[in-house]
Amino acid sequence: MTVLFAYKLGGLCLFFMGFTALILRSHPLKKIMAVNVMAAGVFLLFIAMACHGRVGVAIDPVPQAMVLTGIVVSVSVTALALVLACRIQETSGGAGSSEGEHPPQGDS
Amino acid sequence: MNSLSLTLFDCVVLVTLLGLAWQLLATPDLFKAMVLFMSFGLVMALAWVRLAAPDVALAEAALGAGLTGPLFLSALHRLRGTRKGERRQQLDSIEHRGKIEKVTQRTSGRIIYLLLRILFAGLLLTLLVHLATILLHVEYENPGLGVFVAEQQEESGVISPVTAVLLNFRGYDTLLEIMVLFVAVVAVWSLATVRFSEKSGQVSPIQQGVVRILAPLMILVAVSLIWQGTHLAGGAFQGGAVLAAAGVLMMVSELPWLRLIPSLPVRLMLVFGPLVFLGLGVSCLADGRFLEYPGELAGFLILLIELACGLSIGLTLACLFVGGRPVDDLVDRGQLEEGS
Amino acid sequence: MPTVSASFWMVLPVVLPLAGGLLCFLWRQRSLWLPLAFALVNLIVVIRLTRLLLIQGPLHYQIGGWETPLGIVLVLDGPALLMLLLTALCGAGVTCYARGYFAYRISAQKQPGRHERQERFFWPLWLMLLAALNGLFLSGDIFNIYVTLELLSISAVALAALSGKPVAQLASFRYLLASLLGSLSYLLGIFFIYRSHGVLDLGLLRAVVEPGSSMTAGLVLMSCGLLLKSAAFPLHFWLPPAHANALAPVSAILSGLVIKGSLYLLFRFWFDTFASLISPAALNVIGMLGILAVFWGGILALLQQRLKLLVAYSTVSQVGYFLIAFPLAYHDATLSVWTAFLFMILAHGCAKVAMFMAAGTMYLHSGHDRMRDLHGIRLVMPLTVFAYGMAGVNLMGLPPSGGFVGKWLLLTGAFDDGQWWWSVAIMAGGLLAAAYVFRVMSPLFQAPVGASIFDGRPTPALLEWPPLVLSLIALLLGLFAPGIMALLTANGGAVISGGLP
Repeated sequence: MTVLFAYKLGGLCLFFMGFTALILRSHPLKKIMAVNVMAAGVFLLFIAMACHGRVGVAIDPVPQAMVLTGIVVSVSVTALALVLACRIQETSGGAGSSEGEHPPQGDS
Repeated sequence: MNSLSLTLFDCVVLVTLLGLAWQLLATPDLFKAMVLFMSFGLVMALAWVRLAAPDVALAEAALGAGLTGPLFLSALHRLRGTRKGERRQQLDSIEHRGKIEKVTQRTSGRIIYLLLRILFAGLLLTLLVHLATILLHVEYENPGLGVFVAEQQEESGVISPVTAVLLNFRGYDTLLEIMVLFVAVVAVWSLATVRFSEKSGQVSPIQQGVVRILAPLMILVAVSLIWQGTHLAGGAFQGGAVLAAAGVLMMVSELPWLRLIPSLPVRLMLVFGPLVFLGLGVSCLADGRFLEYPGELAGFLILLIELACGLSIGLTLACLFVGGRPVDDLVDRGQLEEGS
Repeated sequence: MPTVSASFWMVLPVVLPLAGGLLCFLWRQRSLWLPLAFALVNLIVVIRLTRLLLIQGPLHYQIGGWETPLGIVLVLDGPALLMLLLTALCGAGVTCYARGYFAYRISAQKQPGRHERQERFFWPLWLMLLAALNGLFLSGDIFNIYVTLELLSISAVALAALSGKPVAQLASFRYLLASLLGSLSYLLGIFFIYRSHGVLDLGLLRAVVEPGSSMTAGLVLMSCGLLLKSAAFPLHFWLPPAHANALAPVSAILSGLVIKGSLYLLFRFWFDTFASLISPAALNVIGMLGILAVFWGGILALLQQRLKLLVAYSTVSQVGYFLIAFPLAYHDATLSVWTAFLFMILAHGCAKVAMFMAAGTMYLHSGHDRMRDLHGIRLVMPLTVFAYGMAGVNLMGLPPSGGFVGKWLLLTGAFDDGQWWWSVAIMAGGLLAAAYVFRVMSPLFQAPVGASIFDGRPTPALLEWPPLVLSLIALLLGLFAPGIMALLTANGGAVISGGLP
């Protein structure tokens, strides 16, 4: 019972730590990591909820399925965010761009 | 005694988790943060095992360690690879620091900055404590949907309750989630073309040889994970992730034929799984509702969907790792003309 | 059951665009007319659903045949149907416009390969976004809504980054982080709600919901996420750059449709599912945010030099009106405020889509959107400027536009309630809107200065007519009021179907 609560508290702490880092850190990779930590916190809450009363016994598979969905979603979003961050650096830096020939104007 | 040591184990896992998270968010060294992030994923997988969620643990181990970590590492490599990018990054940080310093030079500015931080921290702390008190004091004795899952388990066609929820009871969620993966690949392809490093000869033959043995094994593991998803922990996502990890391994050791893969077969494979899932769902409309598998066929159909989606998910994740569309995909005409 | 045969139409608005997105990704060469076909079929399906709703009343569809606590149910009622109609109409318009837009740019021969590539990736992403929106409006399950929200935001971000400019990519990175934060907050909210009642279905939640700290925490977290996603006032920072720097059809989609998804959910949660948790104080806070948004967005719109940024800030301001509807709905959450809210959403959706499309056409012709250099563009493209003006009439809220009906209903609601102070903000916001609309219109009508800088090519019909038709629909929406009321009350008086099937 208390251990389960500790897990839940840990999930909340992870969520808020990630949130703080998301606001305060300026590097894009750090921001993406912060979002991942936040997501891990929420997943921890869900999985701890699936165990009722005692650690080690899960009686509700629905939160687990939801967390699986959430993990896959967060992986795909992370991948997109990383590629986007790389592209920003490449296009604005102007070096090593695979599509370097387009000028930064006349588009929209 | 046994339960005491387990409780101790739980505490260690939790403290490690929080410590790792703090470290990885606080350290200014990006590479160190990456390594910490990967170990964070592994400790997380331990926590899932302790919380009786083997499916989630498998997914976390395969996706977190096998994929997200390499994703971050290759992104870091790419960011550092662009020299101008790095200079810009330094400039950014200097500029940023400069701004803050300019503000904090004056005492009044410094006090306001400090006050803002304290206010922010206080606000978050209040929120955290409030939510934690709710968790501690307001306890509900509802069993969730577990009872209903157990009741209907026999009709679902599979033995594993998590798979039953994922692919039968709430199959619609999973369908949309596979579409999220698909959209991520389309988005990544729209952003960049894949680039292979020029220095391809540097991979040692030993590594390539090991990969030649390891990759087929991993593919076998992946298929068995998908297969056992119907009765044990595992399924399309975990299997797909292992499949993707095999792909990542092959890409990292730069097997030469990987560069020649054309766009069309990749696209076909990417679309295959989602299309099979969607098509089977629609075909259920013939004598039922959307995604209502006919009773005796349910187990078979779920296995079919898992196999098709597992393959596509594996390829999708590998494509996400590569981070761009194939070289022959929608080349600018101008480039072609210049080249020829 | 006789309804089973007919109600399978309800899954088509989700299934068809999904299939369309997959196919458009696969067959690129032939995909030019494929998306148009899918958009039109979607419109036909929604019209068919309208008939079904009028005949049978609200519909429920159990996916996979599983009963509610376990399975996912799709719900079609008046508000959901109106949102589907808006999406289908604007979607068809945007699809036509995008076809013309990309064809025009490809034929300009500047960077044909690049524009072709943009078009090829635009179609699958746009169809996926359409599916996500339709799924969101139809969904009756909070976790399923989370998945549709993720699908929606990831395809929206990809579309926003499509133009390839560093500014747009930076803006869409911020957009991605903001919407991720919103999604996670929403997910945390689901945790608090699921732990207190153990159900995810909206109808069941509505039946069991009772005031309690866990439920309230869940609702607050979910609402914060949705407010962030719909760019409500202090959380709007990501919107203007992302919307203003995207390609023209993308700006239209983002501003006209995507924002509406989360706003609609917010209204639905507060006044349908979790209505018994709402306190007047919370509503007043939302209303105050709305007032701030109306003024902040309006004043910043007035200060902009670029046309598309002005339109984007006007979206920030218009979101404020939707929020002002909240406190007014408290005493009278039935017909009139729902009608006002939906009227404003419909009118703003059509008008904003038309406005961004018209602004995009001007951009295409002149190569920029600096307002002081757009003098005399009226002579080159009278229909586009007319469409822009008609859409502006809607934002100002002049009769007989849908915007007028919405604001009128809000004003009467405010006076009936004795909360007249909201009406001051509503009217002042209208004046601000008039100011920023006229600020654009006046240079467009002035004589051109010096030589014409505009691209000499004629404007294709596909670029001119969709914005015109949509802005006219928005303008004449007031005349359709009886029909819309009939849809809202299709279940014999109750706006919201609610309850169990």
